[in-house]
Amino acid sequence: MRLNKKISLLLLFAFIAIQLIQPARNIDGQVKAKDISKTIGVPERVNALLRTACYDCHSNNTNYPWYAYVQPIGWMLNNHIRNGKQQLNFSEFGSYSLRRQQSKLKSIASQVSDGSMPLSSYTWLHKNARLSKEDKALVIEWAAQAKDSIATRN
Amino acid sequence: MKKIFIGVAFIAITLTACNNNNNTTEEKKNSDTTHMAAMPAPATAGSSVKDIVEHYLHIKNALTKDDGKDAANGGKALSDAFAKFDQASLTAEQKKTYADIVSDAKEHAEHISMNADKIAHQREHFETLSKDIYDLVKAFPAQQALYKDYCPMYNNGKGATWVSETKDIKNPYLGKKMPTCGQVKEEIK
Repeated sequence: MRLNKKISLLLLFAFIAIQLIQPARNIDGQVKAKDISKTIGVPERVNALLRTACYDCHSNNTNYPWYAYVQPIGWMLNNHIRNGKQQLNFSEFGSYSLRRQQSKLKSIASQVSDGSMPLSSYTWLHKNARLSKEDKALVIEWAAQAKDSIATRN
Repeated sequence: MKKIFIGVAFIAITLTACNNNNNTTEEKKNSDTTHMAAMPAPATAGSSVKDIVEHYLHIKNALTKDDGKDAANGGKALSDAFAKFDQASLTAEQKKTYADIVSDAKEHAEHISMNADKIAHQREHFETLSKDIYDLVKAFPAQQALYKDYCPMYNNGKGATWVSETKDIKNPYLGKKMPTCGQVKEEIK
């Protein structure tokens, strides 16, 4: 019993201690010139979908839920966001080469169409990020068109 | 009680240390890449366009056999070849072309290497990678006879191209299902 008590105390202290380590927030607060909406045409409706369903992990502005402030969950999210931004960052889209922009638009269309994005673990917690059939069609069609328009510009 | 405090302090310190380590390796990685972009890689042990094509063909041949694991090996080798690419002998114009192609192709190589169990996903990346490699071999003097092949059926009839070292068609998109589907579109010299 005394040992159990010691262990739970230790865990409690450890839990409190790790709360002191808060990773830097991914909040830029503004829409920069390199943002996709400033680089290629993004209809308002599509832009709204991208912001609710993608921007948390694929931009420089994350809308943090309350549990992001509880460690170690916050660290996990931080890791997630870092990986997401490495693959695709809508806030930096304008800095990609035209070749890479086309690739990304192709991947957006295919990932949304086969349902691998947005991640099911994300939509499970963010019900408003679930894309309806119509939403998906809208995003896919936009991505395909945008890709073609970059190709002709090239 | 004293032991508990020491324990907590230890955990806190390790975690902080881990966190810091992560940051520094990330910073280091960032500075490494800028460093590499700014300076030509050392001439020794660098890779060439020939190596890049060779590893691309490795992926292609693995996909013709529906072998995702081997395609992943090729993807790993290809992304290493991009990382070690020797730009010293390139003209300024060639450097620009290469930078444009590698900005995209590197990622496809990485994704192919990370998705050994998802061959359909590998093929998606292979399709775009093939365009990049085609542009690469067009921009740089060919080191061997290569062919641009076309498969009209892939991607729900949208079609896709690939680069091959043989005149015979071996389809990397449909694999063993339809190994000879496709045609030679161009001989790249």
